[in-house]
Amino acid sequence: MDISNDTLLDLHHRMVRIRLFEEEAGKLQESGKVPGALHLYVGEEAVAAGVMSHLSAEDQITSTHRGHGHLVAKGGDLRKMYAELYGRSTGYCKGKGGSMHISDLDLGMLGANGIVGAGPPIAIGAAFSNKYRGTDRVTICFFGDGASNEGTFHEAANMAALFKLPVVFVCENNGFGEFTSQARHQAIKDVADRAAGYGMPGIITDGMDVLAVYEAAGEAIARARRGAGPSLLECKTYRFFDHVGVRGMGVVYREDAEVLEWRKRDPITLFESRLEEMGLLTTEAAAQVRERILFEIREAIAFAEASPFPAEGALMEDIYTVRGAAR
Amino acid sequence: MARGPIGIIANPASGKDIRRLVAHASVFDNQEKVNIIRRTVLGAVAAGCDEFLYLHDGHALVLNAIDGLDADATFTEVETPGTASALDSERAAARMREAGAAVIVTLGGDGTNRAVARGWEDAPLVAISTGTNNVFPRMVEGTVAGAAAGLVASGKLALADAARQCKLVRVEVEGERDDLALIDAVLLDEPFVGARAIWTTRVLRTMVLTRADPAAVGMSAVGGLLHTLTDADDGGLVVQVGPGGGTVVAPIAPGLFEPVPIAEVRSLAWGERVEVAGPGILALDGERERRLLRGQRAWLRVERSGPWVVDVARTMRLAACRGLFRFEAGGVDDAN
Amino acid sequence: MTTTEAPATRKLAYVSAINEALAQLMRSDPNIFIAGEDVGLYGSVFGVTRGLMKEFGENRVVDTPIAESGIMGLGLGAAATGLRPVIDIMFMDFIGVCMDEVVNQIAKMKYMFGGKATLPITIHTMAGGGMAMAAQHSQSLEAWFCHVPGLKVVMPSGPYEAKGLMIAAVRDDNPVIVVNTKTLLGMQAEVPEDMYEIPLGKAHVVRPGSNFTIIATGRMVGESLKAAEELAADGLDVEVIDPRTLQPFDTETCVASVRKTHRALIAHEAVRFGGIGAEIAAQIQEEAFDFLDMPVGRVGAPFAPVPFSPVLEKQYIPDAARVVAEVRRLLGRA
Repeated sequence: MDISNDTLLDLHHRMVRIRLFEEEAGKLQESGKVPGALHLYVGEEAVAAGVMSHLSAEDQITSTHRGHGHLVAKGGDLRKMYAELYGRSTGYCKGKGGSMHISDLDLGMLGANGIVGAGPPIAIGAAFSNKYRGTDRVTICFFGDGASNEGTFHEAANMAALFKLPVVFVCENNGFGEFTSQARHQAIKDVADRAAGYGMPGIITDGMDVLAVYEAAGEAIARARRGAGPSLLECKTYRFFDHVGVRGMGVVYREDAEVLEWRKRDPITLFESRLEEMGLLTTEAAAQVRERILFEIREAIAFAEASPFPAEGALMEDIYTVRGAAR
Repeated sequence: MARGPIGIIANPASGKDIRRLVAHASVFDNQEKVNIIRRTVLGAVAAGCDEFLYLHDGHALVLNAIDGLDADATFTEVETPGTASALDSERAAARMREAGAAVIVTLGGDGTNRAVARGWEDAPLVAISTGTNNVFPRMVEGTVAGAAAGLVASGKLALADAARQCKLVRVEVEGERDDLALIDAVLLDEPFVGARAIWTTRVLRTMVLTRADPAAVGMSAVGGLLHTLTDADDGGLVVQVGPGGGTVVAPIAPGLFEPVPIAEVRSLAWGERVEVAGPGILALDGERERRLLRGQRAWLRVERSGPWVVDVARTMRLAACRGLFRFEAGGVDDAN
Repeated sequence: MTTTEAPATRKLAYVSAINEALAQLMRSDPNIFIAGEDVGLYGSVFGVTRGLMKEFGENRVVDTPIAESGIMGLGLGAAATGLRPVIDIMFMDFIGVCMDEVVNQIAKMKYMFGGKATLPITIHTMAGGGMAMAAQHSQSLEAWFCHVPGLKVVMPSGPYEAKGLMIAAVRDDNPVIVVNTKTLLGMQAEVPEDMYEIPLGKAHVVRPGSNFTIIATGRMVGESLKAAEELAADGLDVEVIDPRTLQPFDTETCVASVRKTHRALIAHEAVRFGGIGAEIAAQIQEEAFDFLDMPVGRVGAPFAPVPFSPVLEKQYIPDAARVVAEVRRLLGRA
């Protein structure tokens, strides 16, 4: 695997940035400062970081209801992200989308999405567009084990393979569709098995090992870019927190022991010990990375809190594009 | 003769790694593994075995296989840590040994059988290939493989008649626990385990092979296309990858022929140790497994102390010769 | 260049008007493509895309699997990334299969993203009964989409409207649903050869009149014109208005007419209950209550699925006679 030291440290930085963003977001929600529902990405950071590290802003992604991590990894501006969670006019969506619809089209993010399984058809549309315009851009479709039961996934997978579209379906298999364990929502365990049914390669990788994700995603993306068609990359990962909110333990739908077992394979801890072994990171340096990101986060939260709520007229704006105002 | 239950260890993760993307490996979906287990069980029951031990994996392959199966047999789960990793297979094999299993049927690839051997080094095995590019397990029909296992488990045939003990590579790692490989141990100039499978040649350094098979795919083929060595032959083969001795073009993954520069090829006598040193990764049976830190050494040697592998074809021929599936008129009911 | 309401020059069938609009649009803008079931090689089951694949190739006239969610999502993803898709949904009834894409994704993406997304997507589909195709291939569901902020809905009543509204819809930077009517496909009328747009959101007074207003959509425009002729014998001078666009709705033109005529009836082929007529009637009474001499009437299909048997279907689908009867009933002259 060809990977520079800079990239290794960048992967680490992306994962820590997601983790801290989410932990702070969770606190803000629990303290009542952030309204609505938050679906936090903690535990799954290796997937977003390992995949997004291969993308430019020109490459698109479709995300899920658990979308903060994807936007952070794609280079999202934390100030605009927190402002959106706060429902402020300075947020990415001017306070009209919130956590579940957080997006930045300029970064190629075609939205977090409140509908499970909505992403795959949109992703193949972006991929179609990339191919139509003769670019080598690639579209990543993030989806979960739960979404793999939606018809939309199957329709999109079929069309992607049929049209040989430059799209990579990245299944973040965290073992749960909302509050229902995988064993209770599908008769299979490996979503990758479904790829064969559509005539594309499906592989499994360790979603807690950022380098395993990085390597596999790199190959899948390269394949898509050179016009060889779509593939399905299943990343076995785990949601440390609850489906919605922060609490992840003491819940009826899973055992605490299972959570603790997965936490032993915390993707950030695993990777940090690897980097330390290689002499690329020290405990002090890791603490500095955290401190720097926390500084950015504190500043972003202050920005969000100081930002105005949307003005009254904003309610009826942005529903339609006014002729001549489009790009 | 040995009588005891049959152990079943099926690896749900085999046949799904990155080689489907970077090469052209086949996809082995789990439903097919379930079907193979069913056929294996039915074959074994027909041959006279009615007791099974199994590893309960997260995919519940065995439970799915026996659900509704019309077979007069008992199935007992052996305790494992439930890590959904190779450790489960390793522990399951050890438990099966303690429980007196006569033979273990494995479904998986080289890596799966290696995990089993780590738990029970000289386990009697019927190894069914469901992996990617396997040298150790065979592509064999589950029905017949099950029957062969059943003949051994029921004591109708002696293990020594049905099986032969395999070689292995003993891996000693400085300051850490030992390890083993059944086919190949390879030092890679690579800092990460990453996606595990070996699919580039650039990082290959030193290979120690128990078998060098020109008809195989993988590391064994690299050696095999230079100097053939079967499991029946004595000793092993060492290949030093690097400039100086020309190049061999070998299939390192399904459909993926790559040039490999060869610095040296030589035979390895029983017990002779090959020293390798980090930094690097030791790949064992095709999977990046053990990290060697800078300067950390490891020693590789070939021994004949591996699993006893049942030759399914030979076993069935023997069964035919001895009329083990033949009964007098009206005597089929006494078959078991 | 675009001209508005250009002079008519020759007669063209409704189906050919749609076809010509699509061909001219595709020639004028390489970012326009069409995707749908059987739109390419077969030329669509209604013939609206006939010949387009031959001219523009299979990359721009895309035969898709039968997968409405996938097709609709493909259109959305393509529109959000710079293309101008025309998505064909063979029968309007099939939109039921991809309601999430239309209602939750396409209609809302711009708003949810704080205005950043521009979605120039046109959804073309065929509505209406009268062909013995029963309950799943005959519905007129336009009211569903008029209820969803973010969508525009147009409903052509003839060949001239079919071409002009299609061009306007495709050139619009918003999601527009073009609801064409199957039974009108053979209708002939004068259609300009040049490209022209019928402005969205602007109603058309098809027949001026002084003492009764009929607001009719799609096929019912023609039926209402026939009704107007018949009602002339009753001494009624009926004004017929074709809204052309149902969302955004041109309330102003309709209300102005009612203020003049003091009587109004709305006619559509869709089920009467909860149809667009209910909304129009509500708007008229809100804006012109004091001008009304009688309750606002409505003609629509009964509250039943579209039946198969031609005998039943004839009872079901509104026509000129039903309009005449309802007008007379309302005026107490039945």
